[in-house]
Amino acid sequence: MRNIQKIIKDGARKAVARDDVKYVLGWTPGYGFRVSPFFARTAEDTERLIFSPLCANNLTIYLTLQEKLPLPKAAALDKRKIALFVKGCDSRAVIQLIAERGISRDELVILGVPCGGVIDISKLEAKFPQAIKVEAVEEGEKLSLKVDGKSQEIPKEDILLKKCSLCEYPNPLIYDVLLGEEKQKKTKDYQGISTFEEKSPNEKWTYWGDKFARCIRCYACRNICPLCYCDSCILDKLSPQWIRRSVNLSENTVFQLLRTFHLTGRCIGCGECERACPMGIPVGELNRKLEKDVRELFAYEPGIDIEEKSLLSQFKPEDSEDFIL
Amino acid sequence: MSENFEPNIVAFLCNWCSYAGADLAGTARISYPPNVKVIRVMCSGRMNPSFVINALQQGADGVLISGCHPGECHYMEGNYIARRRFTLIKKLMEYIGIEPERFRVSWVSASEGEKFKNVIAEVTEDIRKIGQMKQLKREV
Amino acid sequence: MTAFSLPRNEADDFLVALIEKQSLFAPVEKDSIISYQLVANPGDALWNFSNSTVPPKGILFPQTETLFKFTGSEVSGGIELPPQEKETVIFGIRPCDGRAFKIVDHIFGWDYQDPYYLERRARTVLVGLSCYEPASNCFCTSLNGGPSSKEGLDMLLTDLGDRYYLEVLTDKGGKLLNKNRKLFALALDSDTKEKNSLSKKVESKLKRKVMSCDELQKKMGDLKEHKFWEETSLRCLGCGICTYLCPTCHCFDMQDEVTDGKGRRVRMWDSCMFREYTLHASGENPRPTRVERFKNRLYHKYKYYPDSFKITACVGCGRCTRYCPANLDLIDILTEIGKI
Repeated sequence: MRNIQKIIKDGARKAVARDDVKYVLGWTPGYGFRVSPFFARTAEDTERLIFSPLCANNLTIYLTLQEKLPLPKAAALDKRKIALFVKGCDSRAVIQLIAERGISRDELVILGVPCGGVIDISKLEAKFPQAIKVEAVEEGEKLSLKVDGKSQEIPKEDILLKKCSLCEYPNPLIYDVLLGEEKQKKTKDYQGISTFEEKSPNEKWTYWGDKFARCIRCYACRNICPLCYCDSCILDKLSPQWIRRSVNLSENTVFQLLRTFHLTGRCIGCGECERACPMGIPVGELNRKLEKDVRELFAYEPGIDIEEKSLLSQFKPEDSEDFIL
Repeated sequence: MSENFEPNIVAFLCNWCSYAGADLAGTARISYPPNVKVIRVMCSGRMNPSFVINALQQGADGVLISGCHPGECHYMEGNYIARRRFTLIKKLMEYIGIEPERFRVSWVSASEGEKFKNVIAEVTEDIRKIGQMKQLKREV
Repeated sequence: MTAFSLPRNEADDFLVALIEKQSLFAPVEKDSIISYQLVANPGDALWNFSNSTVPPKGILFPQTETLFKFTGSEVSGGIELPPQEKETVIFGIRPCDGRAFKIVDHIFGWDYQDPYYLERRARTVLVGLSCYEPASNCFCTSLNGGPSSKEGLDMLLTDLGDRYYLEVLTDKGGKLLNKNRKLFALALDSDTKEKNSLSKKVESKLKRKVMSCDELQKKMGDLKEHKFWEETSLRCLGCGICTYLCPTCHCFDMQDEVTDGKGRRVRMWDSCMFREYTLHASGENPRPTRVERFKNRLYHKYKYYPDSFKITACVGCGRCTRYCPANLDLIDILTEIGKI
């Protein structure tokens, strides 16, 4: 397993050497436990790439983030492909983007990396608050850490991000090259959500109202979402202004309702929204709730097949309607 | 809830069936609770969840959407497509603690004046029981 | 000014006295998020923490604030300032966040005297709490601050184990002390020595540093068109975390909100990282991409602000680095700038 770093770098070097590739999107280590997204443009750059359980960022967002400005006169559009590394969940975002015609398959070179789950960095930072240089290697169920020269082993289960401990798709579903060995799938269950559904409206609102009240509306959950790529977002519209800019419980709640609803049958569960939230609001839980309903009611799962039609643009005459008068 | 609480209900009715159904209730002099304020939309498929949420923010205690029966949509499948959307937004709203009574959907055809009355009566009574909308209401 | 000491077991009495006569804001932890909240119970206030998630700036410059109300086309009751509220005390401000108030004072008291901010500022006493456990991304010493920097604060408490060392820094702080004088004993010379050596010790724990403010200001003047910006800002997601959690970011937007014929003019925080921030009514956007927006944020902090007010608009609290979901590490970026 130790040579995964070499495999990653080799894969990236081959991709970046292609004439039709603009850059390779990967991860590079930052200060302490942090890992940054990185745009490798040369063979030399690819030496800085790594893959480890600290690589949480879903790089798919960078496929649609670039602003499309009018080209200067006589300039030609750069039609070269983008190569990017994808973990299992990230690959579903790529599939969903292609299915929605957000990007086309031939604009991409997909480098798949099987992933055994990524780590909740804040948990490690709490354990090692002054870490400067960190190496993390996955060894089965353990994470072997080298923090400033000292080696440590930590059971992975304790520090995994929540979405990863229930991951059904550790292996990329779409790729041009697969780098590394395939990982064991886990089974997903919606235990927590089913339990919460049983509560009374009052109990539910006590929980969520408290969470929404502290939202600062930085829109990180929207901006980091690989599937929130509308050119003009309902949150920014002024006329009509569906959501006021003032920060209070009513507007914050509506913001989360609409954000979640706009991802119905599209959210692929990469959990980036939840990871990005500086206020610790479990926004991903709302997405998981709808994911569960979509599965149960419509037997639909987004991000699996690039030919799939979107959930809300199709129907079956026998769809359930037991709540309708 | 205090006894003199009168629910404020916004009903979005589709132009071809439910609006005509409400019209029929009127011409047939069937009386129904006056708590409902009707907004006509061309099809239940026109309904954006923002309409529902925005009404609840602006002081509605409940929202009703009514359209043609499945299979009878003027635009062939508008209500089928809408139905999925309604199911999911309802589930989501319930999940954060908005009472299920606040968001209702019904199918009322142009000939069902009596049913329209029954729907309005039921929705009004249910909301009267649970009281004012508090979760989404805007503070002024 | 004079220094005092407060036995540790009487620290809560001090908070009780503050709660009685003033509105007390103190750091409170909930779901691992630390923010400054109005407290009614001294037990709710945190004394041991590295720094809050959300800086205390929102108490003086609320994220959403009603400027005035109106009905129809009438402004009801003219432009009304917020009602005279009780004197407010913010307790447990880290020295970096305290310095931030001093920095923000410049903009709110500049060519236009902002009555809302200044009124609150005048009736608020800022009680600082020296740092003893800096977080890994703290770099206040590079920005003329330090674990027990006094700027901007009215009082500063330092934890000396069995007692707190209290320095009164302004008249406002003096008045607050006099109200509670009996809780405090005069500090001994040995206390002062102990405090100073503690500050040095804590300072040595800070591992991250950048070049000095003056160098940065000069250097950035030459870098406006450098390709460095484009490459660096590619990673930026354009969210508002870095600006909303920044103790010195002070931009706002104003909008009218009308419901049922009644309305209010509200001002709310705005972020230069948003596309709408510079979007004109015509559709033109002078900062069309994340490159310009990202560059502007850094230029504002390290170049334009010191050009205007002779002080850098950054205190080195490290929040932007800590919370950036794309790990745009400000300290690395500033270090890179130094190398160009």
